[in-house]
Amino acid sequence: MITHIYKLIWNKKKQNFLLLLEIFISFLVLFVTFFNIIGFYNLYTTPRGFDYKNVWSVNYGLPSGLNSRDSIAGQVDILKKMILSMPQVENVCFSSNNIPYSNNEISNAVSYKGKDQSATLYLTDKEYSRVLNMQMLSGNWAPAHRKGYSGVVINKMLKEKLFGTQNPIGQVITMGSDKLIVNGVAENAKLTGDYRSLGSIVFKILDSLDRDENYMLIKVRPSADAAFEARLYKTMSNFSKNANIEIEHLEKKRITKNNFMIIPFSIIFLVVGFLIINVALGIFGVLWYNINRRKSEIGLRRAVGASGSEISRQVITEGLVLSTISLIAGTFFAIQFPLLNVDDIASEVYLKAIAFSVVFIYVLVVICSLYPARQAAYIYPSTALQED
Amino acid sequence: MIHLENIEKLYRTDTIETVALHNISLHIDKGEFLSVMGPSGCGKSTLLNIIGLLDVPTRGQVKIDNQILGNMPDKKLARFRNQKIGFIFQSFHLINDLPVMDNVELPLLYRNSTARERRRLASEALEKVGLSNRIKHFPSQLSGGQKQRVAIARAIAGSPEIILADEPTGNLDSTMGNEIMNILLTLNSSEKSTIVMVTHDETMAKKTHRLVRLFDGSQVQ
Repeated sequence: MITHIYKLIWNKKKQNFLLLLEIFISFLVLFVTFFNIIGFYNLYTTPRGFDYKNVWSVNYGLPSGLNSRDSIAGQVDILKKMILSMPQVENVCFSSNNIPYSNNEISNAVSYKGKDQSATLYLTDKEYSRVLNMQMLSGNWAPAHRKGYSGVVINKMLKEKLFGTQNPIGQVITMGSDKLIVNGVAENAKLTGDYRSLGSIVFKILDSLDRDENYMLIKVRPSADAAFEARLYKTMSNFSKNANIEIEHLEKKRITKNNFMIIPFSIIFLVVGFLIINVALGIFGVLWYNINRRKSEIGLRRAVGASGSEISRQVITEGLVLSTISLIAGTFFAIQFPLLNVDDIASEVYLKAIAFSVVFIYVLVVICSLYPARQAAYIYPSTALQED
Repeated sequence: MIHLENIEKLYRTDTIETVALHNISLHIDKGEFLSVMGPSGCGKSTLLNIIGLLDVPTRGQVKIDNQILGNMPDKKLARFRNQKIGFIFQSFHLINDLPVMDNVELPLLYRNSTARERRRLASEALEKVGLSNRIKHFPSQLSGGQKQRVAIARAIAGSPEIILADEPTGNLDSTMGNEIMNILLTLNSSEKSTIVMVTHDETMAKKTHRLVRLFDGSQVQ
């Protein structure tokens, strides 16, 4: 029967062309949609690698009149101690302006024995991993203790790319003209957003005199409330008069950052949703029209021995065979992405997207065929045979 | 073979009730060639549809091979039609998008037969109607007479015992009509097929074993 239906559809390919094209385009749109959904889902479910809860970021200005590095460092360390002495504060670290979930990014090329790798650079101090509850895999957050060198912690991904299975602790990597000693390896972390892919990271540990980064990350206790926030603000204001003080909660920053990704894609998904509804109505309309156009053929089939349920099955099978032709063409194009290894995304994501799109189209076609199929089954043969 | 008992067929709308057949009782023996005549609208096609189990009578009983078929479920009725009855229509009712061979195979698709078996039976049927050289042609490439021969091949491909022909020569000129009639007569004599043929043509009707005349839904001869 399948061969019979295939022959019937193939011989009517001109009439079916628009429907075939519609299903083909829908498949490609669905493929892209599912590819993004699966990609987003994979990114979202990748372990975050740090804890953003109860972490506040503070952007502060340096007090005016401080000229030397020593005096700046001294004042900022006093400020840090003042903050640490507050009962609601668990820990504090300094940070460059690319705090987690901010839109600032600092990236640079890192080299080791001829291997180059682009990495995101975070300037911070040894408390960073405690404030953000990051897991250390080996080594520690220590400065270099060697003149002309800076101590760094790299993440697992960069370690694998530059060192493979070799132990990186104590090795020197370069970033521009900077010589960096690897003192530790931290677990991978998605510091730029839940829907961002993991990347290579270098945490450069600031020297005790490097205190001009203007950002602090403060791990507060759950009891920290608005009154505490006001007190913190006042402390910071007293420290640097006439400077702008900005206190932000990483929890809120995370939501804002994620929304940058979610909102545009939600709009795209909405558009795709409307497209799918249109496609569904199109398929439904064409099948229904076909049933009305083919009444005498259905009458004939009933006369030669088809039961109502067989007619019904045939209508659904025709829809499925029709979609299979489009899906074969669509899959041919979609499969090129993993075959040609267009980007670094795992083939599994493409294959899952193809599988989901195929299943979606088949389910859609079956749902759209159900009513026309039922109508076809109820066609009365003696009446239908009188129609030409 | 075919036994109709007090068949009555009414068509009802909200306001009108039309009697299509009134009190028809008819017995057709196995191997008989019966023709049904009457003016347009007298109920000939309705009678044929009822015999062919494509329509149900409002009252009365249809028996084929001593089986009462009134209350048979749709699936069994379809199987029964498939096994026992072959249809030939005035307007051929061929599927234009399928070649001759596939058109003839159509009833066999609804049986548990293999593709090879279907092909064999269809080829034999086409040979009987003299169209073995047209199996790959599409209906649009055939003349009216050839189309009707394809329809006959389709009707006999499954070797049904009964052939119901609704004005099979109605759309053909006299030469083609005679050709088709000869095929039907041959089928009746050689295959012992029971044939019920609706016709307007007195000459054709005279060639059959028995003639039944209908007028306003009633049997008058």
